[in-house]
Amino acid sequence: MENSLLIGLSRQVALAREINVIANNVANVSTNGFKARSSVFEEYMMPNARAEEFPRADREFAYVIDADTPLDLSQGATEQTGNPLDVAIQGDGFLVVDTPQGERFTRNGAMQLDAQGRLVNSDGFLVLGDGGPIAVDPQATDLTISPDGVVTSAAGQFGQLRLVRFDNPQGLSNAGANLFVSEEEPMPAMDTASLRSGMVERSNVNAVLEMTRMMDVSRAYTSIAGMIQRMAELQRTAVQRLGEIA
Amino acid sequence: MRALHTAATGMTAQELNVQVISNNIANMRTTGYKRQQAHFQDLLYQDMRRSGTVTSEQDTRVPAGIEIGTGVKAVSTARAMSQGNISPTEKDYDIAIRGEGFFRIEMPDGRTTYTRDGGFELNAEGELVTKDGYRVAPGIQVPQDARSVSISAQGQVQVLVGGANEPQDVGQIAMSRFVNKAGLQAIGDNLFLETAASGPAIEGQPGEAGFGNLQQGFLEEANVNAVTEISSLIAAQRAYEMNSKVVSAADQMLTAASQMFRG
Repeated sequence: MENSLLIGLSRQVALAREINVIANNVANVSTNGFKARSSVFEEYMMPNARAEEFPRADREFAYVIDADTPLDLSQGATEQTGNPLDVAIQGDGFLVVDTPQGERFTRNGAMQLDAQGRLVNSDGFLVLGDGGPIAVDPQATDLTISPDGVVTSAAGQFGQLRLVRFDNPQGLSNAGANLFVSEEEPMPAMDTASLRSGMVERSNVNAVLEMTRMMDVSRAYTSIAGMIQRMAELQRTAVQRLGEIA
Repeated sequence: MRALHTAATGMTAQELNVQVISNNIANMRTTGYKRQQAHFQDLLYQDMRRSGTVTSEQDTRVPAGIEIGTGVKAVSTARAMSQGNISPTEKDYDIAIRGEGFFRIEMPDGRTTYTRDGGFELNAEGELVTKDGYRVAPGIQVPQDARSVSISAQGQVQVLVGGANEPQDVGQIAMSRFVNKAGLQAIGDNLFLETAASGPAIEGQPGEAGFGNLQQGFLEEANVNAVTEISSLIAAQRAYEMNSKVVSAADQMLTAASQMFRG
């Protein structure tokens, strides 16, 4: 009888994790370059001891366990910002950001210049070009970034933004601050990936989807809570009845 | 339940977003105002199951693990320093900058500030000052008996005095520019201060390489686009509502959990 309680409990734990994932997606609905995560569950066969000597063998039963929170790597909407140093990446590609912890990868193309005229992200970390940081001549005006990532002004070219891709982008791990960290060596992006200057890629969180998932999770959690409650009542009644007979 | 706190960070972020948007809308008729935009970042993640960890003796590995995020934070309210529309005012001392650069203003406390608002006036001594009475660098004195004033695209101020037909030079308007003008600190009154992020001011004159031109009798409007702001406002408001829905969903789940065993 405890089995149904425990199975219900495993589902509740999994659902609590899922609502955390949904909450994070909804919280990041206006985060540039954010990629939503979903939840994937799998069954987990109960491995414990069995009593086979009964006329009917025990039935196998399984808990639910969360297996994975895969990234939704689809393209987010692009929005015009009017800042010529903002770029939206179209297609499979990531910008490379040099942080004190090493290279990190991002789809957030909101960039600025620092006091030395180098291209940086919102935290002041350098955004790398093919040959290291991209430094712009302080005298340069009317900076533009071409679809292949070349930073140009009337005074000339200052470098090309580095775009990378991964064989297994699902292996990317969130490092916070719109950055991803990868154990896999990045490869240069394909020619199909290009940049749109003056725009940023918004979050790809689908609000409607998240809301429906949220209702789903909330209802499932409540109904399992009801189920556990009924099981507990069943147990209590059983104990009482058994006590009466004795 | 972490979802409660995660949704709370979302609500805080959207509240800030609405603040920034409302300030943009409030300043849509402010001369030389540059719109701000809130930028957000995701917070740290909790790794429940790390990708790449070994799952069997055959060296099979977790292809993608469980990562649960903890919300969002605001990271900057960067200014879009794009050119605003230039509208005619037909006032002699209204000057718009077309292109790069800021007017330099000498503050009464000795500091130097920078502005794109070229709505200047003369004070009682005939000096060119801002609407608040602060002197425009490097100091331009218009004689009392000046009949007409012309300010060239290069910032040269010339006046006709008395009955003379030859214009007389009375000064040259100075300008400054910055490597990272988005890094300037706004101090209100349409004024900006130099910061470590903006880089030191590069001084020059209108019309020089890298600097814009001046246009007398015009003012630069705010670069706020009403349609964009209103649509951002709607998006921010809806996002706020959705985060509050997550709070109530998490609350319902908690209620269900706490009511499981009554008696």
